[in-house]
Amino acid sequence: MNNASIFPHLWRFLGLTAVQILIFNPIAPQAGQYFNVLLYPLFILLLPIKLPTFYAVLLGFLIGLSVDLSAGIIGLHASAGAFSGFIRNTVLIAFQPKGGFTGKEPIASPAYFGWVWFLQVTAIFFLLHTFWYFSVDSFTFVYLGAITLKTLAGWILSMLFVVFYGFLFYPKQ
Amino acid sequence: MRSIFQLLIRSGGFLAFAMLEVLCFYLIVRYNEPRAEIYNYSAGRIGGKIQKRWQHYTDYIGLQDRVDSLAAENARLESLWRNSRLIQIPYRDTSVLTIADSILLGDSMILRKHVRPAFDFIPAEAISNSVNLNNNWIMLNRGRRDGVTPNCGVITSQGLVGVVRLVDEDISMAMSLLHRQVKISAMLKREGAFGSLVWEDDNPEVMTLKFIPKHIEILQGDTVVTSGFSQMFPRDAMIGTVLDATPKIDPENPYFYAIKVKLRHDMSRTKDVMIVKNLFAPQIDSLLHRMKDE
Repeated sequence: MNNASIFPHLWRFLGLTAVQILIFNPIAPQAGQYFNVLLYPLFILLLPIKLPTFYAVLLGFLIGLSVDLSAGIIGLHASAGAFSGFIRNTVLIAFQPKGGFTGKEPIASPAYFGWVWFLQVTAIFFLLHTFWYFSVDSFTFVYLGAITLKTLAGWILSMLFVVFYGFLFYPKQ
Repeated sequence: MRSIFQLLIRSGGFLAFAMLEVLCFYLIVRYNEPRAEIYNYSAGRIGGKIQKRWQHYTDYIGLQDRVDSLAAENARLESLWRNSRLIQIPYRDTSVLTIADSILLGDSMILRKHVRPAFDFIPAEAISNSVNLNNNWIMLNRGRRDGVTPNCGVITSQGLVGVVRLVDEDISMAMSLLHRQVKISAMLKREGAFGSLVWEDDNPEVMTLKFIPKHIEILQGDTVVTSGFSQMFPRDAMIGTVLDATPKIDPENPYFYAIKVKLRHDMSRTKDVMIVKNLFAPQIDSLLHRMKDE
């Protein structure tokens, strides 16, 4: 990560954290237990493709902790963020183009890989993230049914906003 | 140092992930009550399960000790049982020993006729006891009505206790081993040499085994058991162990040793006992009587 490319990520970090804290988190308690939008993982996914997992885990933890500090339960989003940072590389490698990533595409954006690819990657990535999040949220697998329902509902809602975000910003770096 | 750092960045993803998850877990439990409750409940359950498993495991390990002690008890009962079917008939200076076989016992008329239990065991309780006098007595809660007769032996699983002397309807008095007049025919189990066990010291834990010839090898800790020649006790009933490192010569009789024997049974704790009744005693007595007249 050189200096030229650090700022888009910084803005994304601040912007997504703010949206999560100021809009999605306050809505959730009023909208019912299945209305959960988690958009901040997009920051983790849109980190530079070549970024080592070690940094992705740290940054994922960091943005999760930032959301936690305003949300109440310390460690919940941080846990999910660290998890997403950890699995990010695996998901990306599973969907890497033939011959691997060339380095010409700095981030996993529809601007470089197209919408179909982007939706596949984000779908898997957000599904894993939301499942992890609601599992830790329940803190037991006794309520696996409720966890699954929350995960599916949260995942569908989040994906809507991910698409919206993609159209709105069409990030290039 | 630099290369370690690079290695960490390159392949420390999982390490960082695991450590941060542990941290998150801690934070969640530490600062969130409902999840702390879930954690404590689960931890309690898992901990309980582990403890239970561990208990099972240690029980299983400890089983060996219990098996050993039960086996020892079994062996003791077995020997007691065999002893009780041991016919021992002294005939002048020789004695004939016959061990009854349990299978033959049921099948053979001749054996059934001739082989009968030699000893009867009557459970009893000491209702008074002393160890501090020169001549100590033990009162037992069994008497003539229970089949007790004079000269019955008194034993516990640990060792000898005394000999019944006075019998009333429901009560009997036994001379404690700690009585100056008591003489028990005892044997060094390893060597098979037998002598006379008496109480000479004031120590209630120690008796003296006399008339062991000097050519017998005696080792400290040798087991001393009943010889079976006295008719009062079955053979091989536990008495105690040799206390002396080197045996002393009897000052009254320089051809023999006088060996100090540490009693296995704590005489001051005599409570539950068994009165040993030799079922051949009347016959033996009459024979011995006739022998004197010959």
